[in-house]
Amino acid sequence: MSSMFEEYRLSSSFDEMFDSNKNIRPHWKQLEENLERIGLEQLRSKQKEIDWRLEDNGVTYNVYNDPGGLNRPWKLDPIPFVIEESQWKVVEEGLKQRCKLLNLLLQDIYGEQKTIQEGIIPMEVIYAHGGFMREMHGMKSPLVIYAADMARGPDGKIWVVNDRTQAPSGLGYAIENRLTMNSAMQDLYKGISVKRLYDFFEIFKSIFQGDTLNRNVEPLNVLLSPGPHNETYFEHAYLSSFLGLTLVQGQDLLAKNGAVWLKSLKGLRRIDTILRRVDEMYCDPLELRPDSHLGVSGLVQAIRSGGVGMINPLGSGVLENLGLNPFMSHLARYFLDEELILPQIATWWCGQAKEQEFVLGNLDRLIVKTIDRMGEKHTYVCKDMTKKELKVLKQNILEQPHRYVGQEEVEFATCPTMIKDSIEPRRAVIRAYTIAQSDTYTLMPGALVRVGMNNDSLMVSNQFGGSSKDLWVLGESQSVPLNPIFKSQTTIENSLENIPSLRAENLFWLGRYLMRSILTARMIRTVLKYMTNASRYDQESNRQTEEMLTKALTHVTMTYPGFLEENANIDPFLEIASITLDTSRIGSLAQIIMMLSNTNTYAKNLLPLEASHIYERLSREWGILCQEVKPQPRFMIFNLDKLLMQLMAYKELIQESLFAEQGSILYEIGSRIERAQLLISKARSLLISVHEVVSEYEILEALLTTCESLNAYRARYRSSFDLRNVIEFLLLDINFPKSLIGEIDGMMKILPQLPKFKNAIYLNRYEEPIFEAFSMIRLSKLDMLCSSSEDEYIRNELESLLSEVSKRLLIASNELSKTYFAHYDE
Amino acid sequence: MIYTVYHSTRFFYQQEVGFSHNLIRLQPRSTPIQEVINFDMTIEPIAAESEIFTDFFGNRIHHLLIRESHSQLHVVAQSRVKINFNALEILQDNCNRVSSLTYAQAQERMMFLTPEIIEAKQFALKSPLLPIASVEIVNYALMSIKHERSLYEGILEFMGRIFSDFSFVSGFSDLSTPVERVFSEKKGVCQDFAHFAITALRSLGIPTRYMSGYIETTPPEGEEKLFGSDASHAWFSVYFPGFGWFDFDPTNNMVPKNQHIVLGYGRDYSDISPIQGVIHGSGQSRLNVMVDVSREDY
Repeated sequence: MSSMFEEYRLSSSFDEMFDSNKNIRPHWKQLEENLERIGLEQLRSKQKEIDWRLEDNGVTYNVYNDPGGLNRPWKLDPIPFVIEESQWKVVEEGLKQRCKLLNLLLQDIYGEQKTIQEGIIPMEVIYAHGGFMREMHGMKSPLVIYAADMARGPDGKIWVVNDRTQAPSGLGYAIENRLTMNSAMQDLYKGISVKRLYDFFEIFKSIFQGDTLNRNVEPLNVLLSPGPHNETYFEHAYLSSFLGLTLVQGQDLLAKNGAVWLKSLKGLRRIDTILRRVDEMYCDPLELRPDSHLGVSGLVQAIRSGGVGMINPLGSGVLENLGLNPFMSHLARYFLDEELILPQIATWWCGQAKEQEFVLGNLDRLIVKTIDRMGEKHTYVCKDMTKKELKVLKQNILEQPHRYVGQEEVEFATCPTMIKDSIEPRRAVIRAYTIAQSDTYTLMPGALVRVGMNNDSLMVSNQFGGSSKDLWVLGESQSVPLNPIFKSQTTIENSLENIPSLRAENLFWLGRYLMRSILTARMIRTVLKYMTNASRYDQESNRQTEEMLTKALTHVTMTYPGFLEENANIDPFLEIASITLDTSRIGSLAQIIMMLSNTNTYAKNLLPLEASHIYERLSREWGILCQEVKPQPRFMIFNLDKLLMQLMAYKELIQESLFAEQGSILYEIGSRIERAQLLISKARSLLISVHEVVSEYEILEALLTTCESLNAYRARYRSSFDLRNVIEFLLLDINFPKSLIGEIDGMMKILPQLPKFKNAIYLNRYEEPIFEAFSMIRLSKLDMLCSSSEDEYIRNELESLLSEVSKRLLIASNELSKTYFAHYDE
Repeated sequence: MIYTVYHSTRFFYQQEVGFSHNLIRLQPRSTPIQEVINFDMTIEPIAAESEIFTDFFGNRIHHLLIRESHSQLHVVAQSRVKINFNALEILQDNCNRVSSLTYAQAQERMMFLTPEIIEAKQFALKSPLLPIASVEIVNYALMSIKHERSLYEGILEFMGRIFSDFSFVSGFSDLSTPVERVFSEKKGVCQDFAHFAITALRSLGIPTRYMSGYIETTPPEGEEKLFGSDASHAWFSVYFPGFGWFDFDPTNNMVPKNQHIVLGYGRDYSDISPIQGVIHGSGQSRLNVMVDVSREDY
C-alpha cells in the first residue's frame, strides 16, 4: 500500500513527524494510521469542509491594504501538530516560570526598579524601549494573559522566540480551530486521547467573575476593540461573546469620577474590567498618543485612581522586549533562585560593548532586530541586505546601540502540512497562552500553530498568508463534568437598554444613510429619465419642468450651487454625473454610499450573511461605476436601476432580521427622520412655486415617481395629477404610511419604546418637537396650503409649514443624539 | 526673597465645548533653591473634577474635567516662591568645584552605575521630540566640549556661542520645527535653544534635561514694569557625575541663579507642556497667555 507520505521530503534538520531516517516518531504513529485510513483524496475534501465551516462561521483575518478585499478567510490545516505529554510538561513549567518572572519584573519596572538599581538589567533595556510608559509609574496591576511564541530548534528542544504581553491575539482563533477540528475531523481522533481545552476556558472566564466595583449591580466587563477595521476584529467579536463581555470601542466609553463608563441607551454604566485589544499607546489621547481616535481621554487617570481594572495593564508592552533575552537567566536567579527552564534564541544586546562588537563583526550571519516593534521596520535579515542598507543599519546601531539586538538565524523544525494536493513539510511557530491569577499560573493545553506558506519562509505570520494548525497535547484530561463550552449568556446583555451607544448610533445612521441613498438614487433616476424621454410637445414647459427638476436635485442633495447658479453654462448631464459618481463631492450619491459603507462595516455582525454578500457586491459594482469618466445617461439609468435593486434587497434583509433587542428601533427612527426630511426637501423645491398647467402636471408626476407613490396615488384618487390631491396625499394623509404625517405618526408611536430616564408622564426633549410637528401638520388646512399670494406665485403657507416641520425634525435628531449617544450631561 | 508668579491662559474655541479633560502643569516644584509656599489655581468654567498627582519626573500635575458647556477656557495659576539664598551659595561653591571636572573624567565616572547615575542616564537617551543629532550639530558642540577640558567651562562657552550665533525670533518656529532647522536657520525662541542644546549635548553622552519655568525681567531704564509683560521660559540642565545638576540659560547667556523660577522638568517640552487638553468637539482654538513675575515688597 502506498503511503501518503511517500513523497514527503525532509527539508530541515528536525521534522515533527519523522526522524532523520524517515522513521515515524512514536507519538505520531496513531495519527499517521488515521491519516492513511482517511486517505489523501478524503483529506482534500476535509480541507474543503474546514474552509467552508470557517467561512460559514465568519472566521476572518483582516489584512491592511490587501487588494483582495478587507477580509481574508482564516485557514486551518487538517493535520494537527502533535506533542507528547511529557514534553508539554516541560513547556508548561517553562512558560509558567517565564510568565511569573515577567510579572515580577513588570511590578519592579513600574515600582522600585530594583533590578535596574542593582544592575540585574541595564536601564537602557527598559528606558529606551518604546513600550515603557512613564505615565504608568506606580502602577501595581499584574499581567493576566501571557502568550509566548515558540518553535522547535535543531536540537529538538522547544525554544521561546517572542513574548507577547501587551494585548496578545490569537486565542479566539485557537478556540475556533479546536471546535472546527472537533466537528470536521472526528475520524482523526480515533485511538488518540487529546487534552481538552475546557478547563482552561473556565479559568479564563473566572477572571471576570471577581468582585464587582458596582455594589448590588451585575458586573460589567468589556472588550475594548479598535473596531471592525482591525486585523483581528473577528476575534474581538468572538472572544467577547465567548467570555460574556460587551464589545466596545473607545467612543463607547467615557472617563469621569475616577472611573470608566459605558454609554448605553439606558445611560452611563460603570465598567469593572476592560479586556484591552487596543494598543496601549492609543488608549488615551490626553496622556498618551494625542492623535489616537481609538482611546478614551482620561482613561489613564481613571486607572491611576484605581477605578477600573485592565487586562493586560497599560505599560505591559515593555516586556515584549528582545533586549531582555540576555538577562532572563539573571532575572530567574534574582527573583526565583531558579535556572531558566526553556531555552531562548541566542541574543546579543548591542548596548554592551563586547556584544556590540560581536554583532557588527558578524552581521552577515545574524538577524538584527530592534528591542521593541515601534519603528516601521524591526527585523533585518542581514544576509539579504545590500551594502548600502547594511551601512545605514550599522550607523543606526552605533547611534543607538541599546535599541538593537543580534540573533542567531535558527532553522526551525518542520511539520507535515496540506499544500494544495500533497503533504509537505512546513516550518511551524507555536503560540501558547498562560493565564495568571493571583499567584496561580495556568497554561492552555493546546495552542495556535502557524505554518509558513513557503518551505523556506522564516517569517511565519498571518500577515504573509500561510495557514494555521490545532495543537494536540496527548494525554488524559482530569475528569470534570462536561458542560457545553458556550454557556448561554445572562439576558441582561441582550436587552435594548444595554446596547452600547456607538452601536445604537450606527444603527441610527444606517437607517439614515440607507434611506438617503435610496431616495437620492431614485431622484437622480427620475430626473435623468425625464431628460432623456421628455415628450417635447411644448418646448417651453418642458424646459421649465427640466429646470425645476434639476434645481430640486441640487436642493435634495445639497450640492450647491449646482443647478441653482444663475447663468451658469453647465452641461446638465455632466453635473448629474458628478452628483452621482464624484466621491469627493459632498452630498453626492457616491459619497452617501461611502458613508453607508462605513455604517455597514460596523453593523455587519448584526446582519445576516446574505446582507453582507449583497452589500459587498453592491460596493464592488458601484466602485467600478464610479470610475466612469463620461457615462452615457442611458448607462447611468441602467446602473441606478441595478443599484436600487441591491439597496432594496439589503434594506429588506435588515428589516427582516434585525430584532428589537438589537436596536432595530434606532434603525427605524433614523429611516423615518431621513425619509421625512427628504420628502420635505422635495416638496419645498417642487410644490412651493406656482407653475403653468403642463409643467405642473409633469412635476407632480415626477414627484410621485421619486416617492414610489404613483400607483398608490392612482388607486386612491383615480384621477390625473392634481396639486390639491398630491399635497393631501403626500403630506396630510395619515392613512398613507409614506406621507409626511405618516412618517411622523410612526415616529410618535415608536419613540416611547426607547429606554426612559425619568418617569413617563411627560414628553422627552426629543419627543416634544415630533409632537409639535405632528400637531402642525394635523392642524393645517388644505385650502390654505394650496393658496398662493397673488403677486408672488408662492405658496407661503405651505413653505412655512414645511420649514417649521423640518426644523422640528432636526431638533429631535439632535436631542436624541444628546440623550442616547453622547451622555455628556449625565 | 519671594516671587509672585501670575500665569493666565485663555483658550478661545470656535464651537461650544461640552466635555473636556485637561492636564495642567502650572504648579512650580520645590527644589533646593526654591520653596513653593503657596499655589492657587482658578478655572473658568469651574472644573467638575480635579485631582493632583506627581508624574514620573516628580512634577505636580492637575487633572481637570470640565463638563460645563463653554467656548472659552480660562486658567489662572498664581504661586509664591521663596528663593533660598543659602542654597544659592552652596550652588556657587559647587560651580567652582565642578569646574575641575573634564569631559573625559565625566564620561569615565558615568560608567560607575550608582543609583544616581542610572537615574541621570535616562536624560542622555533620545526623547519624543528630540532626534539623534546630525554630524553637523555634534561638530558644533565639539568645538567647545573637549576631552581634556573642563566640562563646565565647555558648556558655558557652548551656551555663549548659542547666544551669539542664534537670533531670538518669535513666530519662526513652533513645536513641530525640527532642531536641525533651528540649527540651520540659527533662529528661534528659548524653547528651541534649549532643545537644540539638549540634542547636541546628549549626542555627546551628556545627560541633559529640559527645564520649564519663568524668568524675572526688568524694564528698560527709567520705565515702569508693565503687569503681564513676562513670558514662560525654558532652559537646560546638565548632569555632572559626582556633583549633580547645573542649569544653563542659552537665551540669556547666563547661569540661572535667583532670577529663574522652575516650574518643572522632563526630557523635552512634551513631558512638561503647561496645558494639554482633549476637547469633544471640532474646530480650532486660539490661545492667549499672560505671565507676570514680580518680587514681593517687604
